[in-house]
Amino acid sequence: MVTEVTPRLAAERATTPTRRGRPRRRVGVSRRYRWVGLAFVAPGLLLYGFVVLFSLFRSVSYSFYKWDGITKATWVGVQNYTTFFTDPVLLGSLGHVLVLVVFFAVLPILLGLMSAAMLGRRQRPGAGFFRWVLFLPQVITSVVIAIIWKRIYSPNGPINASLRAAGLDRLVHNWLGDFNLALPALGVIGTWAGFGFCMVLFTAGVAAIPNELYEAAEMDGAGAFRRFLAVTLPGLRAQLSVALVLTVTAALRTFDLVWITTHGGPGTSTMTPAALLYKAAFQNPQVGLASAIGVIVAVLCLAVALLITRVSERGS
Amino acid sequence: MESRAEKAISYLVLSLMAVVVLFPVVWFLLISLSPETSGAISLSRPRWSNFAHAWQQAGFSHAMLASLVVVVASVIGQLVLAVTTGYGLGVLNAAGHSVIFPLILLGMMVSTEAVIVPLYYQFRSLGLTNSWLGLIIIQTGMGVPFGTYWMRATFRALPGQLAESARIDGANSLRLLWSILIPLARPAIYTLALLSFMWIWNDYFISLVFIADPAKQTATVALGVFQGRFLVQVNYMAAASLVVAAPVLILYVFFQRQFIRGVLAGALKE
Repeated sequence: MVTEVTPRLAAERATTPTRRGRPRRRVGVSRRYRWVGLAFVAPGLLLYGFVVLFSLFRSVSYSFYKWDGITKATWVGVQNYTTFFTDPVLLGSLGHVLVLVVFFAVLPILLGLMSAAMLGRRQRPGAGFFRWVLFLPQVITSVVIAIIWKRIYSPNGPINASLRAAGLDRLVHNWLGDFNLALPALGVIGTWAGFGFCMVLFTAGVAAIPNELYEAAEMDGAGAFRRFLAVTLPGLRAQLSVALVLTVTAALRTFDLVWITTHGGPGTSTMTPAALLYKAAFQNPQVGLASAIGVIVAVLCLAVALLITRVSERGS
Repeated sequence: MESRAEKAISYLVLSLMAVVVLFPVVWFLLISLSPETSGAISLSRPRWSNFAHAWQQAGFSHAMLASLVVVVASVIGQLVLAVTTGYGLGVLNAAGHSVIFPLILLGMMVSTEAVIVPLYYQFRSLGLTNSWLGLIIIQTGMGVPFGTYWMRATFRALPGQLAESARIDGANSLRLLWSILIPLARPAIYTLALLSFMWIWNDYFISLVFIADPAKQTATVALGVFQGRFLVQVNYMAAASLVVAAPVLILYVFFQRQFIRGVLAGALKE
């Protein structure tokens, strides 16, 4: 050990001028291997550049053209974007996203907070089991989740069967076939699938809040609920903003669920931007419009992430 | 301190939530074993042959092979690139690091929707649609940002002395990576492999776009087709669904901690 340490210290003294604070030397950080390093980075960077960056660039340029995927493309300027923001179906899909945000983001976060609080800071007996179960939907194939729920909502599925058994025939519906109910019905699936993730995120965050804060609050005579408001919630600021970003962008990008269950129907009552993108790109090719939808979705995701992070940082 | 009543209520609510989450899955499992095609559950004589029948009807011999080939190749590709780029950026301090790393991180914020349309037409002109190779290239390329972020952080957390002494012993960059750093980073690499496996196996959108040929479809896409066609045979549909969900579920049973920790670490990347 000793023989290893000495040359390292000597080397450190020689290369880094003494600055205040800790010496910032990590694993072999030196300028000697920069070009070898670039050689290691090159394959990944090239493939990523080709698949992601180049395509991103082309998405933006496609979005200014009108193209059916076969014949020659024509330049149309920002027409695809004006179409998006004037077409009732396209614009409506953003409205649907707003509804989905309630179910994909707001409800899971509330339920996640509640279950995290109930699991307790000291991980009561059985906490591991509950975490295992509630996190489960995160690992189930989205297509399978969609199929299960399509069955649950079907006219002779378990929801309607139990309503009939309870004598509530008036409440029996074709849930996914109803213009007003289909979208919230899809939303519920998102709530079901997402709240366990929020819970796990919050339990990890709660465990990191220093005990002294809780003790101080207790000394001030704060009850469990007050402690939750005064200590837990502010302590979870970072986790809350992450949960919001991920769930809101998930709502913006909903595809699998809609495509398997309703194809955007009945009518266009459950159409999402991603489903419209798929239709425009591959079913009835308007490639420029599809690209514009992709760009809009990406920009909105980015804006949501920046906005939420900004707000959460300003508050702290 | 917490009162008895508070404790009881907590357990009650948590149990209720657990039932709500588990019910759909368990209910589907029971349907898949029942002989009734209507979706009614009758377990007096569970019929395991539903799985074999569904497998055959849904053409899973092809589809599972497709998924397996695509997932295994993509996971290996993702791991190799994650380790090399993570090493180049995190340890060797590659030339251009300060530009390259943010550029790669940008990829974590770019949603699939923003690239998929030109990617499809690009790959069509290269003859890489309807091809496993095309899908593997895409999945591998899309995995670079998260993998790089993950491995770079892992390598940076390792003690610097190890690399120094290996250098002094005359190890070149490849030896240093292969015989010192990779063995130390093994737990992180396994977690990355699990996450990649889950993401690629569960993918539907990308496979749906790039593979139209039924003989080459992956399991999730084949299941989507199957469920549209066999609406009336609910028990087979349930069996087929569980077959597709099974690989990741089985991994989850054994590696629960890694999954949860990995997803959390991935979420908290900012």
